[in-house]
Amino acid sequence: MKKRVLSVLIAGAMLLPTLALLGGCGGKQADVVLKVYSWAEYIDEGGEGSYLYDLLAEEGEEPSEEDAPPILDDFENWYEETYGESVRVDYATFGTNEDMYNEIVLGNEYDLLCPSDYMIMKLAAEDRIEPYDPSFFDESDPNNYYVRNVSPFIADTFENGTVTVTREEETETHSWSEYAAGYMWGTTGFVYNPGHVERADLEELGWQTFTSGRYTNKITAKDNVRDTYFAALGLTYEEELLALAENKDEAYNQKLTDIFNRTAEEYTDAVGDSLLSMKANIYGFETDTGKADMVSGKIWLNYAWSGDAVYALDEAEGDGLLLEYFVPGSGSNLWFDGWVLTKGVEERGTKKAAQAFVNYMSMPESAKRNSYYIGYTSVIAGEEMLDYAKYLYEDEEAEDAAEYDLSYFFGEDVADPVIVAGEDQRTRRQLFAQFPPEEVMERCAVMNYFDADTSERINELWSHVKAESLDAWAIAVLCVSAAAIVAFVLFVKFGNKIDFFRRKPKKGYSLVRQEQMK
Amino acid sequence: MKVPRFSRKTLCIPYAVFLVFFVIVPMLVILVYAFTDRNMHFSFGNFVKFFSDPTKLSTIAYSIVIALITTVVCLLIAYPIAYILARSKMKKKYVVLMLFVLPMWINFVLRVNAIRELFNWIGLLGEANYFNTVFGMVYDFLPFMILPLYTTLMKIDNSLYEASADLGGNAFTAFTRITLPLSVPGIVSGVTMVFLPSMTNYVVSDMLGNSMVTIIGKFIYEYFGSDWHMGSMVALVLLIVVFVSTFLTGGFKSEENVRGANL
Repeated sequence: MKKRVLSVLIAGAMLLPTLALLGGCGGKQADVVLKVYSWAEYIDEGGEGSYLYDLLAEEGEEPSEEDAPPILDDFENWYEETYGESVRVDYATFGTNEDMYNEIVLGNEYDLLCPSDYMIMKLAAEDRIEPYDPSFFDESDPNNYYVRNVSPFIADTFENGTVTVTREEETETHSWSEYAAGYMWGTTGFVYNPGHVERADLEELGWQTFTSGRYTNKITAKDNVRDTYFAALGLTYEEELLALAENKDEAYNQKLTDIFNRTAEEYTDAVGDSLLSMKANIYGFETDTGKADMVSGKIWLNYAWSGDAVYALDEAEGDGLLLEYFVPGSGSNLWFDGWVLTKGVEERGTKKAAQAFVNYMSMPESAKRNSYYIGYTSVIAGEEMLDYAKYLYEDEEAEDAAEYDLSYFFGEDVADPVIVAGEDQRTRRQLFAQFPPEEVMERCAVMNYFDADTSERINELWSHVKAESLDAWAIAVLCVSAAAIVAFVLFVKFGNKIDFFRRKPKKGYSLVRQEQMK
Repeated sequence: MKVPRFSRKTLCIPYAVFLVFFVIVPMLVILVYAFTDRNMHFSFGNFVKFFSDPTKLSTIAYSIVIALITTVVCLLIAYPIAYILARSKMKKKYVVLMLFVLPMWINFVLRVNAIRELFNWIGLLGEANYFNTVFGMVYDFLPFMILPLYTTLMKIDNSLYEASADLGGNAFTAFTRITLPLSVPGIVSGVTMVFLPSMTNYVVSDMLGNSMVTIIGKFIYEYFGSDWHMGSMVALVLLIVVFVSTFLTGGFKSEENVRGANL
């Protein structure tokens, strides 16, 4: 009996952890729990390397971790002070847009997401996200930091971008701005090592840098289909793009955007060939090793997002290596990440807190903190952000100092949206990467989401590029040899069970079956 | 009324629950996804697409070849070591054995990163992607080959060798007639533990092959980013390959004398 009691106890003990998991995690009690799902390392986490910490250190003080709390803690305090309600942020992170999408489709309930441009469009088109309240866009409310501070350039981009939403068989067209509030934005281009790569060379080659043969095995592409497909479009249609740039007209950006969205079947063969010749020339496809490989000198050129470029430039500078950033002259990618509200946020009673979260992240102070921490460019403009940009990059003493006009981004309301800096900062270093000039943005295009059929076709293309394809005869030979191996093993194992194959006994001997021997 | 009786079998309940929720249900889900299309209608579309696409078949072939080479190299390295360790009268042989097992205690990603830097220093990184991949796999899976071999070889009764010597057998005969046949269970379990994971361990091929080498595991990962149905089909095909190879190597027979196989 004792034994049985013991076994029940042990069984119970083994089940306990499961129960604990089911019970959910505890944590601070709060009126509202806001579930935020965003990119890993995409927010100010406080401590060393954060804006507040470094600012104090610069003033000669010795800051402690408490002086630079994570921005989420500050939001929780601010929300309680402002709205008289306590909030707890459950902050989860993802690694790719697709991972996030899968989670959402599986029915995980988050209130606020931070996907990229195309994923925002996809989520909106599939009616998985909810528009912001009209009150969110009311500029008279002092707490509406987003509308009051967002850069006019980003606001226009969001206003002009449209997505067709399908809801219960009916389709409506909406602008992105109804569904998304921007967070970070930037371009794509090449981080390069000027010790090995001539700037003039890059300007001459543009996207052909990938295949020119001058940088064979010294250049990387991204290990994700969208970014590398975009580069391959640039590579394939570079002449057409350059011809467009020659005779710029009103619709220049629209025409360019159309080229960078060529995903129809008639184009995929040509782009596929470009992808294959890219593959033959590059060092490898990477997702996050590129920055380190640039710094260690394994590669000379890294196709990168501007935010990562700023980070790589900063890191390398710490090691005494000056890297630079280049955006192809024929055109490149404008990308952004933005906050969107998931379906049902209203019913869950978290919409107000979610919108407040976006507003808090859009305060100039928060925008500075986040941007400083991760190296990306915030969508927030205004006087204070301009001062911040000046604090980072203004250098009137530089030999070739000149004015760098950022009025397109900071808007006309801001007095003197101009930074004085040296030629290197203005054309190829962090200032250029983080705050690209207007002439670069003119030739940058947003790449739309691929609908289901397109996505399937382009993924097929991508797998053909990534994997080696054997010839039909090679596959046939392999199949036959595999079948032969299987047959051989089967024969060895079971051959003696079949009379035909069984060894005949010698003359004069008879076969004694094993069963009989027993 | 029957009083519920508790026995030692009760202890199996947690495992049974685990088995159902984390092994059987996911397999069924994969099966369902593999044979449905985007709208969750039953379809053989993915099946047909898989077997009519030379890229996918080639990738399976490449994965098998990479895994085969890895396994053979592992076996060639591991067998002599295991033999020496098991048969010699060396005093500190546990130390040597430990040296082979020790790397397993260090985080896998860290080790692969370290090899990456090493290869870069030698100048192989980005030059010989397939070689690097196989090397990384061998390095990673070698302990899984050594341990089962070591335990089976340890178990071989010394009197067998004495008998062989008595009957006039030389060292070579003793090896081919005693050591090799009796170590087959160890070889089989070592091969299973190396061959199967090296078909799917795409972290190695990504890190050391700069993502220029695509094996079947990477395919599954990529498809699950965009198309679960095709991803499930690839996973299912892999499952069948695994099933067949386990069946052929006799992996379904219980092997009592291969301890360490469950590492």
